[in-house]
Amino acid sequence: MRTRSVAIAVLAFIGMVDALYLSIKRNAGPIPCHVTRGCTDVLTSKYSEIAGVPLSWFGLAFYVVILSLAVFKVFEDPKHPLDRLPGWIFYLAGAALVVSALLVGIQAFILKAFCEYCLLSAALVLTIFLLAPHPGRHKLPE
Amino acid sequence: MSKALKPLIVIILAVAVAAGAAVYLSRQPDQPAETAAAAPTHADIQGGGHIRGPEKAALTLVEFGDYQCPSCGAYHPLVKEILNRYPQQLRLEFHHFPLISIHQNSMMASMAAEAAGEQGHYWEMHDALFEHQREWADSPNAEPIFIALATRLGLDTNKFMQGLRSPDLQARILKDVTRGQDAKVEAVPTFFINGERAHVSLSMEDFVQVIEAHLHK
Repeated sequence: MRTRSVAIAVLAFIGMVDALYLSIKRNAGPIPCHVTRGCTDVLTSKYSEIAGVPLSWFGLAFYVVILSLAVFKVFEDPKHPLDRLPGWIFYLAGAALVVSALLVGIQAFILKAFCEYCLLSAALVLTIFLLAPHPGRHKLPE
Repeated sequence: MSKALKPLIVIILAVAVAAGAAVYLSRQPDQPAETAAAAPTHADIQGGGHIRGPEKAALTLVEFGDYQCPSCGAYHPLVKEILNRYPQQLRLEFHHFPLISIHQNSMMASMAAEAAGEQGHYWEMHDALFEHQREWADSPNAEPIFIALATRLGLDTNKFMQGLRSPDLQARILKDVTRGQDAKVEAVPTFFINGERAHVSLSMEDFVQVIEAHLHK
């Protein structure tokens, strides 16, 4: 479980950099795409914020929470294992995965433009979800 | 060190390093890979746009913009302020680049600006469109809002409405779009200063630095 938690923490760290970068760049003018086309289109669209709060801030909050849970799991006392943390990661990542799928759908079918930073985030969420053990399972193979 | 403190320190360090990395990356010059090879850093894009400022200004700031783009709206006051700060040395040349696939009202907004231009009030409508962007940007029927703006500017409403449907004005906008595509414009706003692609962040300080650098070239 420790290896998985470290991997999840590393992925959450990358997600934090991604979300923070987007939050900074969003207020600093056109956002360049390196792989896809239309980063600025996506990130200035009406779907890029909720009640005036950019989605990247929600993403940042998600990654900080996931990182914190994973780090606490890595440093857990073996005598008092934090058995509930992987479950929380699983459910949070599951919810984020649904939101990510929705956002990728909006990019593909409504905006017809893709933002590579958003796609990276979706890939990170998917990987975190796959790495997070289902709370029903207790003993996991390393 | 207490066992409970260790994870907290690691989390705080990780957040701090991530913030540092994000700030560092955001300050790197923007060079989109897909355009870096093809996009000319120096483009012959001057001419054909609407000009604001002295004819013989040393610098021409060319902007490719979309009236519905929030980013362009955010840059608008900065562009106006920079023109005020360099009244003799700088002029603006605006080109339409409506992103019609995602901004449903952008084309009509450009038409509104051009229609006002037909009555000699292009820049007044240009300013009004950006300043009232939130009122019409997501409206399913923006035309009455544009007409109200035209009325407020004292334009002949009938002529203005004809302008909104004028194929000639539409052709003028599409010509701007083609010009932008030729210059590898792929985001709005995109700026060029004397033909050289300029990367300006959304800060007056940065704008001044960029202008000063070009003035002292």
